[in-house]
Amino acid sequence: MKTSLLAHAGRVWLALILFFLYAPILVMAAMSLNASPFYQLPFKFTTEWYEEMAGNEQIIAAAIRSVLIACVTTVIATALGTCASVALFRYDFKGKRLLQVLLFPPIAIPWLITGTAMLIFFFFIGIGRGTPAVIVGHVALALPYVIVTVTARLSSFDIALEEAARSLGADSWTVLRRVTLPWISPGIVAGGLFAFAVSFDQFVVSYFLSEPGDSTLPVMIYTAIRKGFTPEINAISTIIITLSMGIMFLATRKAKFGGEH
Amino acid sequence: MKTFLLTLSVAAFAASGALADEIRVLNWQGYGTDQDFAVEPFEKATGHKVVHEYFNSEQEMLTKLRTNPGAYDVVLINSIYTQQAVSEGLIAPVDTSKIENFAGISEKFATDPQLTSDGEVYGVPWVWGLTSFAVNNNSVSEVPDSLEILWDPEYSGRVAIRDDAVEAMHFGALATGQDINDIKDVDAVKEKLSSLMPNLRTFWSSENDWNQYMAAGELDVATYWSGSAARSIAFGLPITFLVPKEGAIGWLDGLSVPATSEHKDAALQFIDWMIDPEFYTVWDAAGAPASANTAAAAALPDDAFNKTVLGNPDLADRIQFMAPVSDETRESYLEIWQGLKAAQ
Amino acid sequence: MAELTNASDRRRLVALLSPAYLWLLVAVFLPLSAMLFFSFLTDLPQDTPDWGFTLGNYARFLSNPTYGTLLWKSVTLGLTVTLACILIGYPCALVLARTIKGRARETLFLLVILPFWSNSLVRIFSWAIVLRGNGVLERFLELFVPFDLRLNLMFTTTAVVIGLVHSYLPYVILTSYLALQAIDDDIIEAARSMGASRLTILRRLLLPLSMPGLMAGAVLVFVPVVGSFMEPRILGGRVGTYYGTVIEDQFVAVYNWPLGAALSFILLAVVLLILALASPILRKANT
Repeated sequence: MKTSLLAHAGRVWLALILFFLYAPILVMAAMSLNASPFYQLPFKFTTEWYEEMAGNEQIIAAAIRSVLIACVTTVIATALGTCASVALFRYDFKGKRLLQVLLFPPIAIPWLITGTAMLIFFFFIGIGRGTPAVIVGHVALALPYVIVTVTARLSSFDIALEEAARSLGADSWTVLRRVTLPWISPGIVAGGLFAFAVSFDQFVVSYFLSEPGDSTLPVMIYTAIRKGFTPEINAISTIIITLSMGIMFLATRKAKFGGEH
Repeated sequence: MKTFLLTLSVAAFAASGALADEIRVLNWQGYGTDQDFAVEPFEKATGHKVVHEYFNSEQEMLTKLRTNPGAYDVVLINSIYTQQAVSEGLIAPVDTSKIENFAGISEKFATDPQLTSDGEVYGVPWVWGLTSFAVNNNSVSEVPDSLEILWDPEYSGRVAIRDDAVEAMHFGALATGQDINDIKDVDAVKEKLSSLMPNLRTFWSSENDWNQYMAAGELDVATYWSGSAARSIAFGLPITFLVPKEGAIGWLDGLSVPATSEHKDAALQFIDWMIDPEFYTVWDAAGAPASANTAAAAALPDDAFNKTVLGNPDLADRIQFMAPVSDETRESYLEIWQGLKAAQ
Repeated sequence: MAELTNASDRRRLVALLSPAYLWLLVAVFLPLSAMLFFSFLTDLPQDTPDWGFTLGNYARFLSNPTYGTLLWKSVTLGLTVTLACILIGYPCALVLARTIKGRARETLFLLVILPFWSNSLVRIFSWAIVLRGNGVLERFLELFVPFDLRLNLMFTTTAVVIGLVHSYLPYVILTSYLALQAIDDDIIEAARSMGASRLTILRRLLLPLSMPGLMAGAVLVFVPVVGSFMEPRILGGRVGTYYGTVIEDQFVAVYNWPLGAALSFILLAVVLLILALASPILRKANT
């Protein structure tokens, strides 16, 4: 009986935290249906902002561009980051501490400074601006998050498992594919989700490096605040969240990344 | 509008085989040039395409000009930054003979020493406005005539000023009866601002903040820009924009052509359209700063904000127009301002 | 962990590491090195021909007490937010990893991270709507209490902490979850069969075994929060000036990249120092 009581308390706690996490998202969604352009209460229902958003080609194009950039960033950053994590975990070598410490500057130094540095450096070496440059920047900012997350998962990995597989005659590729990767897959998924979040919310780098007219959604939002943004932004954000929720739920039916063992 | 755009399109057709260009404009977002009523008629009449890029601070605008040669054709530069852009070779002189509406610009603005250099015009005077303050009509019943209302304990915790070191120092100068461009007694200003701090609810940093806080009833009194006040009023916010007896800060925005622009003729056509009275009256109805073009200002309806508030003739001697601020001064103001904020 | 004994291992190591680190080198380390170089200059070379080297930008940090005060304020904020995230998030991860099974767990796992996919500025402004006077929170609570409620949370340090905890909580939950979920059920069962209490299992087994995950999450919270300026400015109002704000000012309000860069690298040094100081303590707690 004691067990279930504690388990219940735990579930209530989890529910409360989910409510906390979703409170501003719900407010965001509610405001997309509120008439006041200044987010004034009391609430007055309207679908005006959705209509305006539907007619706003720029905002839709920016949203699609943001999603595409975030997807490409996620794939590259997750692949490179996972490889690096495996190497950092499996081998001992000189300079390993340094490589681990080097992951912190991109997280610690405010993006504004990193973005400015990228702008002048990319200009200097000829990468210039445009979507490829934006992706180069996003991947670099997402990589530390992927590496830290995957490494956190790996640290509970029992290296003896690999050795056991190897002693049974598996070559290292098979070991990686059949033993190591399945074990760390929840970490890879989490790293990928973080990478997507970093890219999808990144505005400084996109802002400095994208071509005029090719702006992303965060860039539009950040430049819009000077003159005031309207609940159109809430409308498109609500649609994106709803769509991602749908896609994710479909994904959970297909894949198991919470991991069972 | 028809007549002007017709001339434009004829001119465009006559000039250089009427090749349609893409012109790139660097401006604040939502500031006149990028609105539908600005871009669409222009594109239709000339065949040029207008693409925008935005900046969020003047420093960033200069950085973008420096690091992206050839990327922009029209750039908005506040007059106090124009000379810096000229001295760095970022912008080109403007051939005003190609701008039909230039004749309508008042003498005072057209020859403004900040926008001209060696007899050449580097910034076409576009719009001007005031930095002063506005009150919430719902909570401030009696319209004040003095800046001292910001310090009034009655509104303690219901006041906001912009988070900007130079602007804060300028308000301090106005309140202590000094020349904003030549603050002699910096300590007095610092003292004055320090006594303002406890009265503040927050600092605002964008029109978005300002409108939301005012609409939510968080604020009674807040410093503001005249052009933005016109917009907020057009949106239906119950506010009154005031020019107190201590005076207000004047500013002037010019449109310039970057030295590296490859579409200078199309850029000048766009600038010409931007100071056209027929464009301006449409913009003004949506809330705009005051036009530097006398003809455009005159074309406004009699009850327009920019006619009644900014067109007031006895205002002129209360306005102190901003002069360029040197890097050293700017940094010393920033240090004072950061010190005041950090002490909170 | 394998020592690098043979050439094929070394080749594999290089093959695995170099893509990520080369990418970081070009896109982050080299640009930041340029910034580091700038931080020792009197003026930027592209603007002033007679620039020179100086330690003056770093000296300004020491000569002007404002910077030190604000850095301390930011570090305190970072610690507060990190601690709050751990206290709130770790129990969540525990519940998620140890008591919920099957598809529900996967769904919840995704639900935790989804808010992260919305724009941070939109989220902060939503918090402003929730927290402000007569806002959503006060109206909601007034449904339950008979009197007029005045919480006045907006423009306070509490509001800043709430906003930041909300933004960074998923890191702690997910990294702790990853570590907790990896713990073999058999070990827990064995401990239980030997009569270990729940508290003992938590303290002696679960906590130490999941420490790497918890710490990874804590670092991902602490490091960016110390340099944050957007959330504090919008939610903190008059009290929302932090160290990140003065760095931003050097790039936005005045054109002083050398000073801004120097202030950023001081921030980086302090953050790394704190992590270095914390790591032996954590390693000790771990064993």
